[in-house]
Order: sequence, then structure tokens, then C-alpha cells
Amino acid sequence: MAIDDGAGSYSVRELMAVFLARDLVDGDHLQVGVALPVPEAAVRLAHILHGPNMELIFLGIRMNVHTLAHLPLPAYGWDCRVVRWAESYSDRGHRFEQVRDWQRRVFFIGGLQVDAYGNANLIGLGSDPQRLRLRGPGSVGTPTLTTHVGRYYIVLNHHDPRVLVERCDFVSAVGWDRGGADARQRLGLPGGGPKYCVTPFAVMDFDEHTKRMRLRSVHPGVDVERVVAQTGFELIVPSQVPITEPPTAAELEVLRTRVDPGGLLRDA
Amino acid sequence: MNARTERILDEHAAAAWLEDGMTIALGEPAPMAMIRHIVRRGLRNLTVVAGGLALDLLIAAGCVKKTISYYAGGGTGIPVAPSFRRAAERGEIAVWECEEGILTSGLDAAAKGLPFLPWRGGVGTSLPVLNPDLKLFTDPIAGQTLIAVPAIEPDIAIVHAAAADAYGNVQHCAGPGWIDLFLCRAARRTIVQVEKTISNEAVRSDPWATTLAGADAVVRLPWGAHPFYSRGHYVQDVAFIAAYVEIADAAARSGERDALEDFLARYCRAPHSHAAYLDLLGFERLLALHEY
Repeated sequence: MAIDDGAGSYSVRELMAVFLARDLVDGDHLQVGVALPVPEAAVRLAHILHGPNMELIFLGIRMNVHTLAHLPLPAYGWDCRVVRWAESYSDRGHRFEQVRDWQRRVFFIGGLQVDAYGNANLIGLGSDPQRLRLRGPGSVGTPTLTTHVGRYYIVLNHHDPRVLVERCDFVSAVGWDRGGADARQRLGLPGGGPKYCVTPFAVMDFDEHTKRMRLRSVHPGVDVERVVAQTGFELIVPSQVPITEPPTAAELEVLRTRVDPGGLLRDA
Repeated sequence: MNARTERILDEHAAAAWLEDGMTIALGEPAPMAMIRHIVRRGLRNLTVVAGGLALDLLIAAGCVKKTISYYAGGGTGIPVAPSFRRAAERGEIAVWECEEGILTSGLDAAAKGLPFLPWRGGVGTSLPVLNPDLKLFTDPIAGQTLIAVPAIEPDIAIVHAAAADAYGNVQHCAGPGWIDLFLCRAARRTIVQVEKTISNEAVRSDPWATTLAGADAVVRLPWGAHPFYSRGHYVQDVAFIAAYVEIADAAARSGERDALEDFLARYCRAPHSHAAYLDLLGFERLLALHEY
């Protein structure tokens, strides 16, 4: 899906990556799992553009590679060559051994379902756990990561009423539970919770009081009605919904020449 | 006899340690040469602590009764491992629902000789509902709600590493797989398959490089992680994995298993040894995977 706003053309996934990159702050510790090309691109882009003190954490490897000219996306899941960038490896104190100190840790999740309060489901679809309609891959590390990280982003490949549902069939990662500003506090979850949900149509945040999902911006060429129609729950829609700020030529230049020369985010 | 006991085993002798009904833990990258022995021997009713497509292969081969898995997907483009999905949806395997922090807590509890360890990740989720072995409790110190994760004690852990000496001193290249040390600490016995065996002098010249001490068996199996990677040696065989996924996915969708059985027969059951498997693949395929 290409967007041409007159100033130049870019793909929706490039727009999503640039949006996320801008929201990442120098000093963040950015952990990305496998098979999430948009966040993988976003953290590299932010590291190059404005994050000399960011740390990137992939596959249990921790690094700061701000000075490298190119931070290409992995060729495939478990492209083990990323170890060449490592400053340290897993099981040496930076995996789950120090979750107390994860205020600067940032994470990204997807899901088979995401609900109105940002809870996510990687377990499966159906009502009977013994006979799921679709068995999911399992929770990976998302329950622990989303419990403790300072903030996280929900990044979806599809904006679809089957994905964005009122209530998840099962919850593998707690966002804002059943809602309310103290929802996480009541469960004793120290991390800051989901900040944004980013989809190919829009960016959503969470209402300060109810913690229900709220439309924050729509991407160029997408109208509010379409987003509402493609969301399986009642989205909070403010009276004014801005357009997601498009990538600048400079951001696209870095993204395409130093992060994604193969155009992974362009063919969708 | 007054000599230190060597722990180098032939692949068949190591495979003979594995029996029906055991709990077997598999490291990262998956120790595929030993896994192919499990398939070849036709082991049944295993509880497997593993993830990804290695777990899927064992399920496809009918070896698995129960999975203890934090992730049964295959990475980009393979959201759910196909044989796992089919078997779980049809109730043919039991799924011990967990996640990484819960799994490592259970493994640590076993290693420490404790009945359980507490963990927070998973509070508020469906995990304790789906897995009744995970008990929500109020901690007696601060009164917080936590999960009691019971000890997970594999009978045998099998991991893949770069090198080991004859006495079970193991050195991974570029760090151990993230879960390997948890598995080896928790398991009653550990089998390590290595790209090469090295001298005890080489180990003692750089003891900080030893990632795991006291492996019970060392099995020399170069290219033994194929089709997965081995850091410092070779990268993943993307085409081979894609071929497996296509065949397993078709079998999972249709229930028509002929092509899958052919695959298992050709690559796991027919080769009588790891060397025979490598012969089947051929030098051209293997050398193309060289990491550098």
C-alpha cells in the first residue's frame, strides 16, 4: 500500500516505522523480538537519527551501534549474524535478571487479538481451550516484558475487526486490563503499560481516565469512518483527528539507504 | 583405574540415553542431529521443553505427548508452527501454557531444589487459568499477588555448542543460546553436541570462555544444528526450513501426510548416522551456509 502525498511516495510500513522512531527517546533500551520488521526498522532508524545512547536488544544480544554506517534489517528470523554487533550476550544479567530496572526498557508486541484496553492475545482463538479454533504460537516473553517495561507499543499488520476486538478470548499480555487509570496498579504490574497501538490505518492511544483505546491520528488517505468501521469495538473518537505526520525526505533517505536497502518495508 | 573419566560419547550411545516418556529439554539453536535420532528411534510420549520448528518436527513425527513451550512459531511468515497448531487444536498434545519468565523460573526452581519459585509476569493474564499448575498466591512478605511456578526438571537437556573438551567443559561461540544454561542447570543429565572437540589445555588457557561446565555427555556432531544456525560456523538453511514448513503446513491443513512422512523418512529415519545425513545434503549445500 503506497501513499503519495505530493511531496514523495512511501509505504504504510515506512510511515509506521518513522512514527515509532520519532517517539523513541535517546537513552531508551529497545528490545525487539523476531518477525516484527516495522519495530526492527524503527529502533535502527531512531538509533541513527537521534539515539546515540540507545541500547538495542535483539535475540538476547545487547548493543550500541550508533557509529555504524549501516544497520540492515535481518535477512530472516534468527539471522544469527547480528551477534557481530553485540556488546554482551544473554544469561549475563540483561535478560530477566534485573526487571526491577526496566524503566528505560521499551518493547513492541503484536497479537492475534488486541482489545479495547490494549490487552493482547497470542494464545489462541475460541472459547474452549481444549478445542481452539486457532491455536496461537504462545506468549513468548510478552507477559514478563509487558509487566515490567517502562512502556510498550502494540504494532499490528492489519487493522481489522477480527483483530481489534472488545475482549480478547485469552490474554497473554495485560495492557489496561478492564480499564481505569489504576488498572495496572491494582494487579501489581510495575511497568508503564502500552502507549500507542499503531496499525496500517491509524495511531491509537489510551484515554487518561478510562484507559480505553482512542483514535490519535489517521494515516494520510485513511478517513476516520473507515477506521471506526474496521475496529471491532467502540473506539473513542475525538472531535478533531489529525493526520499522522508523514516521513520527511531525510528520514526516508536514512531508512532506505542505511536500514532497509532491500526494501522489506516497501513490498507488502 | 586412576584416570579422569572422559565424557565423549558416540551419537548412538548418547541417543540410547533417551527413552519413551521422558521429559527432554532442547536448547537454542535446536540440537537437530540428536533430535533426528529421537525421530529415527521413534520415541513416544515425550514431554518436550522446546520451541519453534524443532518442536514442530517432533510433533509431526508423533514423538510428543506434552509441550512446555513459550513460543511455537517459526519467525517471519510462520506465525504458528503447523504441526503444533494442528495437534493442539485437535487435542492430540497437551500444552503446558507458559512464557519465558515462567519457564526459566520453573527451571531455576528445579536447579535450586525448590518446589517452586515466584514470578510476576503472567499475573492478570489467562496463563494461570489455562495452566492450573501455575498457582496465584499472596506472598507472605509483602502481600503481593504472584505466580508460584512449580519446578520443571527435565530428565535430559540437549544443547548445541561450538566446542567442548573430553571432560564436559563447553564453550559456546558468541554466547550460549539464551535458555541453554537454564536447561542444563535444571536437568538431571546434559548432552552437548558440538561442532568440534578441543583439548583440555585449550579450555584451561581461557577458562572464562567456558559457558557450561560438567556436561554429562559430549557428542561431536559438526553441522549438527542444520537446518538451524551455529554461531561462528554456519547460518540457517532458509530454503530447507521453508521446504519443511510447506510440507508440514500442507499436511496440517489436509491431514494428508504422505509428503510429510517422505520428508521424515528421507532426512530423519533413513540416514543411519549424522555423517549419512550430511552426505545426503552434500558439500555444496553445507558450504553455502558458511557464516563468514
